[in-house]
Amino acid sequence: MSGLIVTLLLATIAALALREFFKGGTGPVLFVKELRAFFLSPVAWVVLTLVMLLNGFSFTAALTDLQGGERAVTLAVYTFNSNQFWLAYFFIFPVITMRLFAEEQKLGTIETLLTAPVSTVQVLLSKYLAALAFYVVLWLPSMLNFLVFRLSSPDSAAAIGSLKGSYAIILLVGVFNIAIGCLASALTKNQLVAAMACFTFCLLHFLVGYVMESVPIQEQFRPFVAYFSTLAHVRTSIDGLVDTRQIVYYTSFAVLLLTATFHTLEFRKWKV
Amino acid sequence: MIQVSNLSKRYVGRTAVDGISFEVGQGEIVGFLGPNGAGKTTTIRILTGYMPATSGTASVAGFDVFRDSMEARRRIGYMPENVPLYDDMRVKEYLRFRAQLKGMRGRAARKAVGEAMDLCGLTEMRGKMIGALSKGYRQRVGLADALVHKPDLLVLDEPTNGLDPNQIRRVRELIKQLGLTHTILVSTHILSEVEMTCDRVIILDRGKICASGTPADLVGRLRTARTVTVELRAGAAVAADKLKALPGVKKVVKEGERDGWTLFTLRAESGRDVREAVASLAAEGGWALRELHAQGATLEDVFVDVTQSGRTG
Repeated sequence: MSGLIVTLLLATIAALALREFFKGGTGPVLFVKELRAFFLSPVAWVVLTLVMLLNGFSFTAALTDLQGGERAVTLAVYTFNSNQFWLAYFFIFPVITMRLFAEEQKLGTIETLLTAPVSTVQVLLSKYLAALAFYVVLWLPSMLNFLVFRLSSPDSAAAIGSLKGSYAIILLVGVFNIAIGCLASALTKNQLVAAMACFTFCLLHFLVGYVMESVPIQEQFRPFVAYFSTLAHVRTSIDGLVDTRQIVYYTSFAVLLLTATFHTLEFRKWKV
Repeated sequence: MIQVSNLSKRYVGRTAVDGISFEVGQGEIVGFLGPNGAGKTTTIRILTGYMPATSGTASVAGFDVFRDSMEARRRIGYMPENVPLYDDMRVKEYLRFRAQLKGMRGRAARKAVGEAMDLCGLTEMRGKMIGALSKGYRQRVGLADALVHKPDLLVLDEPTNGLDPNQIRRVRELIKQLGLTHTILVSTHILSEVEMTCDRVIILDRGKICASGTPADLVGRLRTARTVTVELRAGAAVAADKLKALPGVKKVVKEGERDGWTLFTLRAESGRDVREAVASLAAEGGWALRELHAQGATLEDVFVDVTQSGRTG
């Protein structure tokens, strides 16, 4: 019951935000501009290449290992529960979000932007969605790996559920961590500071789950801590189990962080 | 077009704008003049909906800039100080983006961008990256952006800041030309600019309006000579004493002496013309007089006068 209420609430917020975003057709104009900005900057291509390389490494490593005999795990588990995956996890978010608001504030263009007939929600969502769209693009090449693998060995029992779970959790952590990046970027006009803040927050969130798993705490708190653990979330999802609690967890946090970002941008309008 | 009443903006521990009221009519070019830190930019930011006022109201074309912000913003073309632009966009691309943001689509947007580029002399620069443009061209891109959606009101914050004299002249001409079709509020601390381009001047100092009127009007208030230059053939010491004794003369400065001629500068009390008295003094003393003229007040004098009064140092 409570799950239903929370889900409905989140859906309502998302729907209202999207309605505001599309109002007057301004949101899409901003979105296209932001997305173009990603692909016109060299940083994006560097990230794209790096993520592709890392995925390629873990994929080939997994294939090599699986050739050695029977294993209890699937290809997806090998690929996404690897060091390479976590390496990518930590550098992607700061790099793709640091520019979003910090650059506008540095250049002063935030003033021309927000004095145009554009609402703050439209500006915020266009940047957030553009970053999310770019994040999705980052993972497309890795999908190609699996696609080619499937086509080349049609008789292999590729675990589709495991793959779907993997990409679902990748999208979810993206939804959450990009919101962190947005907030970090809105807080400063220095891109480096934004990147460091984003990295720190992402890492801290990760560590809450990671460290707590190995810290001696009372047994009754363990499930509670596991609820925060991205590592645990990723592991269960890769096994093909999509847990609605995680969906609620990441999206509700994303909504909270974006609300904070909204108020950071609106701060100048506060009466003092 | 603009109505501002009792507008105040307080930052923590500092009042930037202190209860100002003014109006700008349709089709006027109004100069917003004041020393740096007088509250010009703050007032402009409130008018353009970038930040709210602490108290008071402001409206543009009948729309309250805070409550009907979107409607008001649609009617304003704003060029902020230092013209912030995206360096990694091309001129045409940027203007297209801005036109779309301001609600223009498709062919209408393309046409408006073309017209704005024509008007601002940007047509041959349309394919250039903004980051590679000179300061003068950046200013023009900012202007083109401000007027691309054909707003009722143009708000330009220090439009000639940092330009070389030729560029300044060109921007001024552009402003004058735009004034034929738009209402313009232009802020500056350069006086000659206002004298040349504006119908009306509002002088702002420390958050308050300290004078307002046409440039001629303001100068007129100080028209009576305040500094008088006299060149006489007379004993310097005697002449100085006698000049000093004239009613209305505050100060006599001996500027130089050559071949028996002495040059004095007199500071007169505000509102007194002492030239006649000086002439009769010379006639009485039998001194030859070969120069006597008053320096007419300029807007600069008005500016200095109103912004320095009550201020020490």
